[in-house]
Amino acid sequence: MTAVSSSPAPATADNGRRRRRRTVLVGWSFVLPNFLGFAALTLVPVVGAFVVAFTDWDSYSTPNWVGTANFRRMWHDDNFWTAVRNTCWYAAGHIPLTLAASLGLAVLLNQKLRGVGILRTAFFFPYVTSLVAVAVVWNMLLSPDMGPVNQVLRHLGWSHPPGWTTSTDWSLPALILTSVWRDMGYYMVLFLAGLQTIPAELYEAARMDGAGAWTRFRHVTLPGLRPTTYFVMIMLTISSFKVFDLVQVMTEGGPGRSSLVLSQLIFREGITQGRFGYSSAISLALFVIVLAITLVQFRFQRRSER
Amino acid sequence: MRKTTARVLPVALAATLFGAAACGGGGSSTTSDGRTTIKIALWNYKTTPEFKALIDGFEAKYPKIHVEPVDILADDYSDKVTTMLAGGDKTDVLTMKNVTDYARYGTRGQLLPLTDYVGKLPDKASYSGLEDFDLGGKYYALPYRQDFWVLYYNKALVGDADMSHLTWDQFDTLAKQSTKGSGSSKVYGTYLHTWRSVVQAIASAQTGGDLLKPDYSWMKDQYTVALDIQKAGATIPFGTAKSQKITYDSQFTTGKAAMVPMGTWWGAALLAEKAQGKNPVDWAMAPIPQIADDGKTTTFGSPTAFAVNKKARNADAATTFVEWASGPEGAAAVAKIGIVPSYHSDSVMNAFFGVAGMPTDALSKQAMQPSKVQLEMPVSDKSSDIDQILTEEHELVMTGEKSVDAGIKEMDSRVKNEVQ
Repeated sequence: MTAVSSSPAPATADNGRRRRRRTVLVGWSFVLPNFLGFAALTLVPVVGAFVVAFTDWDSYSTPNWVGTANFRRMWHDDNFWTAVRNTCWYAAGHIPLTLAASLGLAVLLNQKLRGVGILRTAFFFPYVTSLVAVAVVWNMLLSPDMGPVNQVLRHLGWSHPPGWTTSTDWSLPALILTSVWRDMGYYMVLFLAGLQTIPAELYEAARMDGAGAWTRFRHVTLPGLRPTTYFVMIMLTISSFKVFDLVQVMTEGGPGRSSLVLSQLIFREGITQGRFGYSSAISLALFVIVLAITLVQFRFQRRSER
Repeated sequence: MRKTTARVLPVALAATLFGAAACGGGGSSTTSDGRTTIKIALWNYKTTPEFKALIDGFEAKYPKIHVEPVDILADDYSDKVTTMLAGGDKTDVLTMKNVTDYARYGTRGQLLPLTDYVGKLPDKASYSGLEDFDLGGKYYALPYRQDFWVLYYNKALVGDADMSHLTWDQFDTLAKQSTKGSGSSKVYGTYLHTWRSVVQAIASAQTGGDLLKPDYSWMKDQYTVALDIQKAGATIPFGTAKSQKITYDSQFTTGKAAMVPMGTWWGAALLAEKAQGKNPVDWAMAPIPQIADDGKTTTFGSPTAFAVNKKARNADAATTFVEWASGPEGAAAVAKIGIVPSYHSDSVMNAFFGVAGMPTDALSKQAMQPSKVQLEMPVSDKSSDIDQILTEEHELVMTGEKSVDAGIKEMDSRVKNEVQ
């Protein structure tokens, strides 16, 4: 420090560059602690996974380079395609339903009602509840013989209600139902925040022009929420494709393979069977799928902004 | 001065982070009073009394060695040990929960060979289950207990039926007869747990079918029996048991199931629960029902063993522990708390039936001496892949999503196509 302050003042241009460099360094130093953690725990493993995907690493022996063997194996692996199908199925149910439910809740709870704070908290509650507890409770609710859900359905005249998690046709819908219930509170909060940003004058003007409630929602609320909706879509897509914990606790991918999802296959191949090369290859495939979908969403967002 | 702080702080932070990370791997291998410490990876230390019995017995015999348990949740045990070994963990002794995992660690060279010790054993035949640890002529673990399946029954619910030589058809009939009541007070004749072994390993042991090789048509009769029992309402349906995560222990100790086929590890737990007042049931054991009515008892089971980590900090002390636990003294220590040890001798069996509360009737004694115990799942590098497929198809058959024939056909084709 002393060296810097005691040296004679250099040319102004030099001084400016130095100051700029110092600003950059200080900026970096603030980011550094976080970046170190990110690099050590996320960046390096992610880059590592790209390399491991081309080897036969079993976590212990020296890895051998096997080229594209893992990817060729994946192409012919029935389990992989089952998992891809199930994951897409899950996403196709989870994304639109959660979006609709959370948007609907947000619009409803954006009004000046008595006790609206309590309601908002109540809908947010599932999100902060332990996922294992959620899964266990829903498993009980959906129990085919004794569960309350099926008792109600039988009461309503459905003589053979779904078998939910014990049936190959209903295990994914059961998972989607549970995850929508759990996630909608979180996205509702995001939408509520978005709703606050829409100027009240717009609604007033629309009302002056004779727009009904639906028209106002369609032409004021929805366009006003576009940035929020876009963000929610992206987050939902990513979380749907990497769903793991809920499936693992509720159905373990069963019955049979009817609810086996990609993350579970990655876990099974890697941690359980010790085939880290193959499991990294599947992770890469998942990465590519999510990346492709996100890019498409980006495109759409850009176009609609124009 | 402020500038100095701005420059030094991040560096200091980073240094702290790395320093903390570097310290994580430390730890000492001797106690303050100079005893050698060995660490042993095991599961559910509190509810699995055999570990404490072995550790206490060993420390009494070898006062210079201190044994420290590394407790791991039973359900996560295999994954956790796999991860530990992959990370170069130095835990001295590793408990081998099943032979499949053992084969994996052994063939990867993660365990210390004990072949020389096994070669010098004078009474090799007394170690039941030892041959299951033969990996191409080499041994990397020594069994200290050998569990096999018997039929537990509730004396009050079964009545005076003769259970000494039950066939599965007779078992089916008896289960239906013992089913009483309805709704929440219903008592089921039996409880068939959701594990695939309940059907598949029994069929394999008693028909000679190979679990690693299609075709699996030899499973058909056993599935027919299990589904018939389920259809008659003589057991909780598979789907309910699975989604409610029903435990076999609660079904039996609350008096909701009259007979439960289960492994001998359960006996010690039932005794412990009785001692704590949590198990009011008057129970005993019978031989597992048979497919063939030829007077012999064939059942399945699997040994549990200790192995020494190749990277153990104190390999010598660890080896001493593993050898002691599998031998006569270790066997006596576990038999005394109602666990079936691998090492068999008359005195060990006397200790077993001498446990307070252990049923000592002739039928229970007969149950403890099966003619043959087949390994639950043959050891091969394909075992865990095949296990996955068989488990998935078992679920589908038992929940009625697939017929027995369709399920078996799917097992055949999947094992042929998917397992490489």
